Amino acid sequence: MDLSHLPLSWANYLSIMGFVCLLVLVWLVPRNIVYEDAPDQSRWRDIRLWATILIAFQVLLYGLFTR
Amino acid sequence: MHPLDLAIIVGYLVLITFVGLRLAGRVKTAHDFFLAGRTLSWWVIGLSIIGTNIGANSYVGAAGNAFSIGIAQANFEWIGAIPAMILAALVFIPLYWKAGVYSIPEYLGLRYSPTVRVVAALIASVVSVFAIGVALWAIALTLQTYLGWPIWVGIMVTGTIVGAYSIAGGLAAVAFTDMFQVCIMFLGGLVIVGLGISHTGGFSGFAETLVVENPDHLQAYLPADHASYPWPGVIFGLGFVLSPAYWWASQAILQRSLGARTQWDASAGMMFAAFGKILVPLLIVFPGLLALVMHAQIEYPDMALPWIIKNVLPPGISGLMFIAIIAALQSTIDSSVNATSLMLTRDVRHVLLKNANPDDDLKIGRLLTLVLLLLSMCTAPLVAEMGGIFTFLQTILSLFQGPMLALLILGAFTRRATPQAGLWTLISGVVVASATSYAGVNMLYVAFSSFIYALCALWLLSGFTAPHPEKDLSKLTYVLWRRN
Repeated sequence: MDLSHLPLSWANYLSIMGFVCLLVLVWLVPRNIVYEDAPDQSRWRDIRLWATILIAFQVLLYGLFTR
Repeated sequence: MHPLDLAIIVGYLVLITFVGLRLAGRVKTAHDFFLAGRTLSWWVIGLSIIGTNIGANSYVGAAGNAFSIGIAQANFEWIGAIPAMILAALVFIPLYWKAGVYSIPEYLGLRYSPTVRVVAALIASVVSVFAIGVALWAIALTLQTYLGWPIWVGIMVTGTIVGAYSIAGGLAAVAFTDMFQVCIMFLGGLVIVGLGISHTGGFSGFAETLVVENPDHLQAYLPADHASYPWPGVIFGLGFVLSPAYWWASQAILQRSLGARTQWDASAGMMFAAFGKILVPLLIVFPGLLALVMHAQIEYPDMALPWIIKNVLPPGISGLMFIAIIAALQSTIDSSVNATSLMLTRDVRHVLLKNANPDDDLKIGRLLTLVLLLLSMCTAPLVAEMGGIFTFLQTILSLFQGPMLALLILGAFTRRATPQAGLWTLISGVVVASATSYAGVNMLYVAFSSFIYALCALWLLSGFTAPHPEKDLSKLTYVLWRRN
């Protein structure tokens, strides 16, 4: 299969799609797994929020550095 | 050498040795030695993961690559790391944590068979000895360049310092020294960014020159016909296979997560490290772009960073960057030594020697740490003379990544994967990867195709082979996101 002719713009579409899918997966993880053994139930300890910020950074960076 | 540079270097070496040895008193058992007695907090884990991840190739090699291909080099830190780290934190670390394992080969052994455990541990260990040798050689070369020390003196001094705190303090010493080392790395990187931007007339001057003279260097993805980093290879090979295989299965990386004081700390530590990865290109990609903007006249791209240190950093500050490079290498060596010692002590010894006494693990672990360091110190000059061997070993390791990832994914998310199918998929997957690699296919595509093959083979073969006893799987698999 020759992939060398695929247009560059598809890279951006695919990665944005990938980040959206990842975001959905992140929020499918149950709360009890996220807070397992956590010292308290503070909102900041919900690492799904951390993941959401990370994904937003990724979308921003790839938006900035792709045509 | 400027006296301030020398003072910084000596101060660093004394501080690292002191911190490492201070933690030696905590080590009473193998559990303390290999998993830091499960006391590590999330921020120590996160910084230690970054330190372990930034290795010999990162500083010099990545800056050189950035000089050649631009910001696309950052893919190895962004799409080639962060998504996999997020899933490691939310999916795989909780799984390993609940399984109560010391290592990833141990998880594979429980999920599949002891043979898979030994094979996975041995492959990782052999490659690790040579990787440590390369890092020792790189430090010795740096010490020779800056201090004029003979190569063998550099190897001996580095091996002795790393050995002293790794053997005495185990994972806790390794993690805490990694933490200091990462802080030094980021400090050195920020100094380069600040001074570099001021050298090029401020940020607007830097950006304008880069945009006007090298617009292609600001593209995250390279065309699909690019020889080394075609975008389909980066997304599918790096993003979907090589990166997950590394972040979900590297013992050197995940050992500090398994040494966390709670499961939350283990997951949060990985997520914290992912935030650090966003900034890592500032340390390792920016110097390459800076050399480009400053029109550096260099023979090879890998000379971009040394050129920047020589031409941008004033005397007294270049010592800081020198320390940053040494710190990056040391943090990789100490983590690899500790992880390899663990795999040989438990994953190989406990399986092959049926009468192995677990009470001897601490003694054996320390002895193996010493032996591994000595072996790596001996292989360091060989690796430099026969660089092809290391490249060969790295290629061998990469051939395992696709099949290993398939074993992890089907093992973690289904109960279908069987012990026999796991072993045969691992073996045949490596054969398939070797054949496609031999045919001259780009390594990124080799990784992806071998992964797809292994997924299909494991699924099909599991239909014809004896299943794993159901009762043993409850702590080893997820079923529809709910652990049984």
